[in-house]
Amino acid sequence: MNVLDSSQQDAQFSTKSKALDNRRTTISKGNRFKFLLRKIRGKEGKIIPVLRTVPIFEGLTYRDLKKIELIVHERTFMPDEVVFYERQPGTGMYVVKKGLIRLTKTTDGERVKIAELGEGEFFGEMSLLEEYPRSAQATAVVKTEALGIFRPDLLDLIKRHPKLGSKILMKLSTRLAGRLRKTTEMKVKEVE
Amino acid sequence: MERSEIQKLWEAFEIIAIGCVLFGILLVLYLIRGLLTPFIIAFVITFFLSPVVDYMEREGINRTLAVILLILLTLIILFLLWKLTWPIIQMEATSLQKNAPFYVSKIRGSLEQGMELLERKAGFMPEGTMQNAMQLKIGDFASAFGNVDFLFKTVRYLLVTFILTQLIVFFFLKDGTKIRKGLIAYVPNKYFETFLTLFHEIDKQISNYIRGQLIDAFFVGVFAIVGLYLFGINYAIFIGAIAGIANIVPYVGPLLALAFGGLLVLIDTGSIFTMLEALGILAFVKLLDSIAISPLAVAKRVNVHPLMVIIVISVGGLLHGIWGMLLSVPLYCSMRVSLRILYRGFVEYGHW
Repeated sequence: MNVLDSSQQDAQFSTKSKALDNRRTTISKGNRFKFLLRKIRGKEGKIIPVLRTVPIFEGLTYRDLKKIELIVHERTFMPDEVVFYERQPGTGMYVVKKGLIRLTKTTDGERVKIAELGEGEFFGEMSLLEEYPRSAQATAVVKTEALGIFRPDLLDLIKRHPKLGSKILMKLSTRLAGRLRKTTEMKVKEVE
Repeated sequence: MERSEIQKLWEAFEIIAIGCVLFGILLVLYLIRGLLTPFIIAFVITFFLSPVVDYMEREGINRTLAVILLILLTLIILFLLWKLTWPIIQMEATSLQKNAPFYVSKIRGSLEQGMELLERKAGFMPEGTMQNAMQLKIGDFASAFGNVDFLFKTVRYLLVTFILTQLIVFFFLKDGTKIRKGLIAYVPNKYFETFLTLFHEIDKQISNYIRGQLIDAFFVGVFAIVGLYLFGINYAIFIGAIAGIANIVPYVGPLLALAFGGLLVLIDTGSIFTMLEALGILAFVKLLDSIAISPLAVAKRVNVHPLMVIIVISVGGLLHGIWGMLLSVPLYCSMRVSLRILYRGFVEYGHW
């Protein structure tokens, strides 16, 4: 009874395998599409995921981030190495990819720690808009990998991709406006 | 205390090391200078075409596609130009080749007469010194023009080099940003920001200069050719092309072109009136250029005093001949902008 004749067995097997095949093709079609997309896009690498976490580049598409990746300079700083000094002319911003950066400011001859920035945090973004002496000194605490984005490159990018450029500039101005609002509020409170 | 001493020593060592590396790079470049010609030409073409590629990219065309389209377009235009002008060029070249020995002997005759007179007047020279020197120089010239098909070879060489450079231009245009990034990746952190700013400034200066001068030279060449051709002067294309190319060297170039054109026409026709006509046309084209084309084409031209330009070109010519003359002004501008940035950083901020 258990024994099915060969034709029945074949039929059963074929329907099973057909179902399996069907499933396989649907999966592989989806995979193939993703695979193709990945092939066309190329490897995402290690820079783009870091850029995604930066608020200035929020909401940008993969293609846009790829263009920004082109102007990113990867820099490595040793422990205690100075990224930039206070009052040095600033040319751009840094995003911490790995490690720790300490920001210090000299007040009354004493060096005061302002902040410590870890992975995904960034500093110096206002130098993207104009050359201005750095307001603080940045020093690597441990061995730190950082992504540098600099004004001359950004200006080139804006010239070549004005749409993307305006998106970045909009985000930068929003941040600036936010800071301005905060300072104004503080001043108003002081007066009151 | 001790640490700062070590730091000072280290800094000095660092500066010396950077100097050595730069010197090494220059030395290697000097040693392989023979191979550099296509690269230099490719540089110039890249500087010239990159705004067009940028524009196409801005309009939403993929950069690689834009570069390919542009290079194809350039090749087609060049091919058409070649097809259109080749018969006339060929005619001029053949005629020039045929007549060159005659011209040379004519020049030699009049020069020899002059030299003889000079020697007689000067009195202190052994007889025949200057004549021999002249003969030697002019002999070279005659063989260059008369015996070898000098012009054909030059044109063919230029064409082959140009096709070779297309490949380099393609990659320069397509991956320019990447190549630049790779070049400055090994600059120490301390100097990186300054170096990047310098790099961009120098790039801007050189590209503005080259672009402006090339556009200018093109228009001057075309107008000179058309003008000379309309007045029926022989060798219009030859003289016009030389006027255009010479125009790349500011102040000195146009004068040389004027002298060359005038001399060729005078020898060819023997009539002072035709020579004056040709000189008038060339001078008029130069005037038109100074009034209308140059201010537009070289709008953002680096602001250098004319006297300084003449000094810089003379020094360039003295040191490295034609290449020295062509490259001296952009080099001078790059050095000037570098010094300005470094000086400002040093004086205003105490760092660079």
